[in-house]
Amino acid sequence: MVLREVIGLALVLGGVSFSVVGIIGIVRMPDVYCRIHASGKVSTLGLLGLMTGCAILVPATGLKLLALALFLMITTPVASHAIAAAAYRQGTSHVGAQRDELGGRTVNAPASDQT
Amino acid sequence: MSEAANVIAQVALGVMVVLLLPCAYRVLKGPSPADRLQAVETTTTLLIGITVVLALIQASTFVLDVAMALAAFSFVATLAIARYLSEGRVF
Repeated sequence: MVLREVIGLALVLGGVSFSVVGIIGIVRMPDVYCRIHASGKVSTLGLLGLMTGCAILVPATGLKLLALALFLMITTPVASHAIAAAAYRQGTSHVGAQRDELGGRTVNAPASDQT
Repeated sequence: MSEAANVIAQVALGVMVVLLLPCAYRVLKGPSPADRLQAVETTTTLLIGITVVLALIQASTFVLDVAMALAAFSFVATLAIARYLSEGRVF
């Protein structure tokens, strides 16, 4: 195999292994917030590794993969933040949390709820 | 790509497909609605990865259009459902 193929396949396998780690975290973590943290590994490191490896192995796909990677790097943190905010506003419990810095207040909460 | 690289890419595709099963487990079991929403979002992320590996195996760029559409629709749907969960309405 050429050196380019070795590098590309190593990146692809790295992305797949990060996806495996993230999915194990999704199954085994005790809490919604911990699971969101674990799923961030799948969407950033896992997908970026896969896409970099694919762009190295098949250079014709590079531009589309660059656009896709930029779009994903913008949208996935926003989606994760929206899910975490929704879970917090629904009152989903934290496992093992010592204190709540927000104290029941969120950014968009009405003023009457603030103590 | 050489023959060995093709075999390795197909093994990676198989692993990514198998990873969909734990996500389905979390969607079915997850105690809170936010758990299910997050598992569905991870499922679409895995599907994007599967299409990327498919584009690698077939060495074609056309499969990546599917991945782009999937990413866009998943983003909009996740935001809408999260807003529905937190405020009880979408619009």
